[in-house]
Amino acid sequence: MNRAEIITGIRDSIPIILGYLPLGFAFGVLATQAGMTIIQATVMSILCFTGAGQYIALGVMQAGGAVLTAIMANILVNLRYFLFATSMVPHLRNHVPIKWASILSYGLTDETYAVAMNHYCNHEASTSYMAALNLSSHFGWITSTLLGAFLGANIADTDRLGLGFALPAMYICLLILVINKRNDILAAVIAAVLCIVIGLIWPSTIHNMSNIIVASVVAATIGVLVNE
Amino acid sequence: MILGVSAVSLLPRILPVAFLSSFEFPPVLIRWLSYIAPAVLAALAALSVLAPGGEYDFSIGNLYIWAFVPTFITAILTRSLFYSLLVGIGTMAILNNLM
Repeated sequence: MNRAEIITGIRDSIPIILGYLPLGFAFGVLATQAGMTIIQATVMSILCFTGAGQYIALGVMQAGGAVLTAIMANILVNLRYFLFATSMVPHLRNHVPIKWASILSYGLTDETYAVAMNHYCNHEASTSYMAALNLSSHFGWITSTLLGAFLGANIADTDRLGLGFALPAMYICLLILVINKRNDILAAVIAAVLCIVIGLIWPSTIHNMSNIIVASVVAATIGVLVNE
Repeated sequence: MILGVSAVSLLPRILPVAFLSSFEFPPVLIRWLSYIAPAVLAALAALSVLAPGGEYDFSIGNLYIWAFVPTFITAILTRSLFYSLLVGIGTMAILNNLM
């Protein structure tokens, strides 16, 4: 346990929680409207912690689809975590014991991944940092779901507060922060363009996010092939 | 359903860390993996701005594109998550209330 690392982790999770607030809140509202109890909605946020996946599960549920459909869609949506987790391994090795790294990877999301990878660019990984970042982000997700499920539709719309732009703003800034060499820009531009083009050709890939996986794999491969 | 979704969301996150940690990666793989973070973030940023509701919107009526510009500039100038969020959310709030 390292106090300073824990504080840094919690501090770094604040922008993430800010972004989760409208998303988790909206999930809570929609889940109760779809027929889940407050407890079910909250338990889902505790056990799944996958924004896109949970929204998809709700959609399948409302459409009267099979449980298997929700699970299959979630396999596709969550496949990107396989890529994320693998790319994090070199940073965690020798710094975070495998047992803890595995358990804490429960809290790996697009946002905690982005923030952690940016932190590991110039800091060593530590169990305390990883735990603080992932657990407080997860706590934010659970709390906002609970709030949304409780308050339902009685609240003013969060759009007027501009919170809808919290996650895009975070992705934009983190992208700037992880760019360290010339080829990073190349990989970023290729991935962005490719991801949009794939989504235009096969719109369904936007919802299961497979366009992100394909675009990233191609962009990283080109990054390696082009001389630095 | 909740348990099923939970299992398939957690396994892809935990398995690589649990099983790949004891392997030494070849240098080319480490280089390849170093491009994953910029690539994924660029893809996420592009999608979140150009397809805010899950549907593409390339029109000038897409406020996310307008909010992107000051946020991007702030991010480059300050390299601060806090200021970028502040400018991004602030711009979005102003645009939403004006439009």
